[in-house]
Amino acid sequence: MLEYVGLIPLFPFIGFVINGLLGKKIKNEKVVGGLGALMVFCSFLVSSGILLQLIGRPAEERIFEKVIFTWIQSGQFKADAGFLVDPLSALMIMVVTGVGFLIHVYSIGYMHGEEGFYRYFAYLNLFTCSMLLLVLGNNMLLMFVGWEGVGLCSYLLIGYYFHKKSAGDAGKKAFVMNRVGDFGFLLGIFTLFWYMGQTHNVWTVNFREIAANAHLLPVGGVVTLIALFFFIGATGKSAQIPLYTWLPDAMEGPTPVSALIHAATMVTAGVYMIGRLNFIYIRSHEAMLVVAIVGAATAIFAATIGTAQNDIKRVLAYSTVSQLGFMFLAMGVGAFTAGVFHLMTHAFFKACLFLGSGSVIHSMHHALHHAHSHDDPQDMRNMGGLRKAMPITYLTFLVSTIAIAGIPGFSGFFSKDEILWQAFSNPFHGGLNIILWGTGAVAACFTAFYMFRLVFMTFFGECRITAKAKDHLHESPLVITFPLMVLGLLAVVGGYIGLPKLIGDMFGGIPNYFEQWLEPIFAGSHEFTLQQLAHAEVHHSHALEWGLMGASVVIAIVGISVAYTLYIASPQIPKKFTDAFPALHRAVYNKWYIDEIYDFLFVNPCKALGNFCWKGFDVLVVDGAVNGVASIVRGFSSVIKNLQTGYVHNYALSIVLGVVTIIAVYVIR
Amino acid sequence: METIAIPAVNLAAIMPETVLSVVGMILLLINVFLPTEKKAYLGYLSLIGIAVSLFYTMNGWGTPQEGFNGSVLLDNFSHFFNVIFLLCSALTILIADQYVQREECNHGELYPLILFATTGMMFMASGTDLMTIFLGLEVLSIALYILAGFARNNVKSNEAGLKYFLLGAFSTCFLLYGMALTYGATGTTKIAGIAQFIAQNSILSKNPILLVGMLLMAVGFSFKIAAAPFHMWTPDVYEGAPTPITAFMSAGPKAAGFAAFLRVFLVALPMFKAEWTSLLWALAVLTMTFGNITAIYQNNIKRMLAYSSIAHAGYALVGFVAANEVGVAGILFYLLSYTFMNLGAFAIIILVGKKGEPNNNVSDYAGLSVKHPALALAMSVFLFSLMGIPPTAGFVGKFYLFSGAIKSGYIWLAIIGVLNSAASVYYYLRVMVFMYMKAPEEDFAWLKVTPAFFVTVVIAIAGVLVLGVAPQYFLKLAQIAVMI
Amino acid sequence: MDIQTLFFAVVAAVAILSGILVITCRNPINSALSLVMTFFCLATFYVMLDAPFMAAIQVIVYAGAIMVLIIFVIMLLNVRVESGKKYTHGVLIGSIMAVLLLFEAFYFLNRSSLTGARGMIDANVVQNVGHVELIGRAMYTDFLLPFEITSILLLVAIIGAVILAKKKI
Repeated sequence: MLEYVGLIPLFPFIGFVINGLLGKKIKNEKVVGGLGALMVFCSFLVSSGILLQLIGRPAEERIFEKVIFTWIQSGQFKADAGFLVDPLSALMIMVVTGVGFLIHVYSIGYMHGEEGFYRYFAYLNLFTCSMLLLVLGNNMLLMFVGWEGVGLCSYLLIGYYFHKKSAGDAGKKAFVMNRVGDFGFLLGIFTLFWYMGQTHNVWTVNFREIAANAHLLPVGGVVTLIALFFFIGATGKSAQIPLYTWLPDAMEGPTPVSALIHAATMVTAGVYMIGRLNFIYIRSHEAMLVVAIVGAATAIFAATIGTAQNDIKRVLAYSTVSQLGFMFLAMGVGAFTAGVFHLMTHAFFKACLFLGSGSVIHSMHHALHHAHSHDDPQDMRNMGGLRKAMPITYLTFLVSTIAIAGIPGFSGFFSKDEILWQAFSNPFHGGLNIILWGTGAVAACFTAFYMFRLVFMTFFGECRITAKAKDHLHESPLVITFPLMVLGLLAVVGGYIGLPKLIGDMFGGIPNYFEQWLEPIFAGSHEFTLQQLAHAEVHHSHALEWGLMGASVVIAIVGISVAYTLYIASPQIPKKFTDAFPALHRAVYNKWYIDEIYDFLFVNPCKALGNFCWKGFDVLVVDGAVNGVASIVRGFSSVIKNLQTGYVHNYALSIVLGVVTIIAVYVIR
Repeated sequence: METIAIPAVNLAAIMPETVLSVVGMILLLINVFLPTEKKAYLGYLSLIGIAVSLFYTMNGWGTPQEGFNGSVLLDNFSHFFNVIFLLCSALTILIADQYVQREECNHGELYPLILFATTGMMFMASGTDLMTIFLGLEVLSIALYILAGFARNNVKSNEAGLKYFLLGAFSTCFLLYGMALTYGATGTTKIAGIAQFIAQNSILSKNPILLVGMLLMAVGFSFKIAAAPFHMWTPDVYEGAPTPITAFMSAGPKAAGFAAFLRVFLVALPMFKAEWTSLLWALAVLTMTFGNITAIYQNNIKRMLAYSSIAHAGYALVGFVAANEVGVAGILFYLLSYTFMNLGAFAIIILVGKKGEPNNNVSDYAGLSVKHPALALAMSVFLFSLMGIPPTAGFVGKFYLFSGAIKSGYIWLAIIGVLNSAASVYYYLRVMVFMYMKAPEEDFAWLKVTPAFFVTVVIAIAGVLVLGVAPQYFLKLAQIAVMI
Repeated sequence: MDIQTLFFAVVAAVAILSGILVITCRNPINSALSLVMTFFCLATFYVMLDAPFMAAIQVIVYAGAIMVLIIFVIMLLNVRVESGKKYTHGVLIGSIMAVLLLFEAFYFLNRSSLTGARGMIDANVVQNVGHVELIGRAMYTDFLLPFEITSILLLVAIIGAVILAKKKI
């Protein structure tokens, strides 16, 4: 099966080609959508086969590289087009194809009747292909190809409803912001490549070869620079401070897209990349500290914004930003396994939440449409009491919410608790650990609060739309609810493969399968840490670990009870609160004015500079010299006259100016 | 009376040029007997000439031919550039016919002029004597002045031709003065002789005359490749010139400028490397930044691509600053890929244009994807390549240029370059936003894809993708070529 | 100051003066005649540099043929005296640039040894062999290819003149 790894990205690509070229002619939605989903399912089957085959092998033989052809070769530089299958990428392809398949199925129902149905599936397939390329690529350049590919598809899908101006703008914003991040990624590749080559004569971009030669890298110094370059790339793709503002805007795209791209897969690419390059980060505590601080800050920052949003998808978007912050916090404290673990569980419950919100929006949209109401179907203030009308959606949504809030027994608890514990007990950041842990814990509390606020406002209480519209509320069809049920189930049980040792021991020594599985990837880093830091082996008492675990449970419950008090028990309080602190509420509601600040700091100066260059040189110098462009049309003779005295004159001056300056600099000095 | 011993001529060294100029002269004669509506035949005949010339170029790969007492050297370097020039002129000829018929400037002299311009470019690439290079540049320039003003009944075209002529003549003075000073200091115009003389008299590198000669030559070549601050002519000339000629000018002559620039500076003046790398460093930064920032505000797509071509010259200069095997090979590779992507983009601009070119604004591309999805897709591929997004040729080219710069230790230059290419996404993307995310305002009924255009776009797309997906073969060729 | 330097100074002054007149005269005929004057001065420089053939060519071709043609054209087309306002700010900036450039030229000429490499041909060789033969030799040996390229250059220029200027083509 391993030999056929190339098929995994190939299937969705075939789907893209067929749907893209013939989709418009096929017209039949079932064929187009079915084909798209089938292709991803085929990839899923191949991925499962590969996973099973890897499980069957001993741990140290679970790495397989398949080179398709030599992509670029010149001198010492060589990059293959090839695939790397190891426990980490096997896990990622399972998540991408598994969740991807469910979302494709869901989309058949959700996108029913939309204009450009085929276009949607073509893009979605292309996205799946690029994402698989990103995780399977055996070298940094191929990963970059996938990295750009997912960015492109994300842009196309965000702008899917292009007749809405906001959608087009959001797409452009996402693309440009991502490109800012990409430049960091590229510089990281360059610097790493040339450093390894120049100083150690190891010319490679291949992940395995770099990992094998990781011992040549120094600690700190240039490695910090490399790690930070890569991290800039990660902040763009994974929506971390300061490049996160595109993600909430990306909610302009269709909801399944938000679930697949902006929750489960693409945005986690940055986490995956750091996991893949863990041997670099472990060699620079400074870079790790930056990652941890940015992660923790993003986690709490986005969580506060999430508490004041009324658009159901925006709450989930900020929640995603915040959860990604948790993953980066994990990466920054050296808990790579925990970070990847949270990546996986988050993919389950957040995809389920997004799809659930899609189901709600779908139903609300129909109901409002029938009632000829122009209320916003995404505004939670219009919802309420939906649990009776939509029981399956409600149940799966609730399960996922409990998971994300971190209630014991659900998947989110295991992964989040592990991250918080590692933030507290890691050997890297000394006294800052307690701050990192504290920030994470408060963010977790906020998470529980705003998620349950969402549930309460949406599914509980009185329905706030007109009675006429209410009659049209109904549960979504099976094609939509089926993926919800599968993902809901995974949101519950997905965590059990990674039981903390503490709990596992209680039940007769169940090992942490997840940690064992990823052991070969991160073993080198752990060994390195043990060599580097003598105190790394310090054992914290079980009591402390239990205590912190209890604390995080208490935190979650506090968050939930506050939400219950405010939105069920005494719903008048939030109003009073906003009346008492109007400025604070406005600031939080307006996302701390970050977009406006960015506009002020970056966008407007850039525009002004561009304007100046244009107006200053072209308009003032060129058009100002003669009486505007209108005179050009006055005829050939007058053009010559104008040319000789106007335009060319100034151009020639610019040449002379250049010459004078150059000679002055070099001859006179 | 004693006879003059004429040196070994070795016609093989100028075979590609000879073929082109002879075909050009034959075409001039045929032109007299052809009625206006049949001028396209001249285009097909010139394609045959280009094919023959290409044959001689390809055939000679690996066997350098020197001729005319060292005036010309047809080595791998010039072979590689010759392929770029021939490709550029072939694609231009393919897209020119429809345009000149539409704009009613269907004069048969167009094709011979393109061939003569190509001859000039080839002499620039293969010349090893400052005189050969200068005369090649003059043949090219004069042909271009005429071509830029070729649409006689279009005022903008007249303006472009005249402006280009005046500024071109002005900047040529600097180039010629620089060559004269170099000759005065070293006593020879042969590039190898100059290098030898400087190496033997290292005291000469202190002589300001040679230094000023070098600087003035840099100015002259910078004008040709449109590097800031010698780029001011570019937007006006590109906007006013007939669109196929704009396409031609943005790819071929720029490559020729780089060819001569590279050969003179790398072979003849390596002693001044410290000086010219620092000069080019500044020029590269200025050029990239100015081109990109100004392009952001352009609504006319030809003008936008003009500023973008300034920026691309800046990227190529990054490789020049690096001046190592990777960077210089990167320039060759980049110029080749730029030829494909830019000519492809201009082909589509010609298709979308109407008579008199009223719709050359970015907003005129609104909804192109709805009416002509294949064309919109092709345009997107070219734009992606211009942005430098994998897996297109533009990405690999930029990757090489910037990694060359990093290899030579110019990390800041690479950072500025990558930042610039990130900024450039904005204005390329704007075209795509209009094509894909706006409702169509026009029916594009006039848009007719002739076989010639089909072939051009397919060749360009194939070039962009092949160079992007499997670049190693071409990179190897480029690396062999730069061993001059 | 010996007589040769004095002579050079006078001719150079005339050359510069007539050069300035070329671009400042409003009447194109005056401009053209000033240009003829400049060419004559250049021819004098060639003589002083032991290049008599170049001097003759300069007079015959430039001052004789080309300038006569230009004056004919001006007369035939009846080009009017240029009128209208001039661009003063352009003149100002241009003058500043020119002064700066002049300063730089002085600076680097002062600091460099003008005798870079000396060729084999000096006044004696020109006297003995003859200037025409020397030029002929150079043109048919070292510069054979550039000489041939010039023919293409002229051809292109002729096409250009026809294309751009002929009324009906």
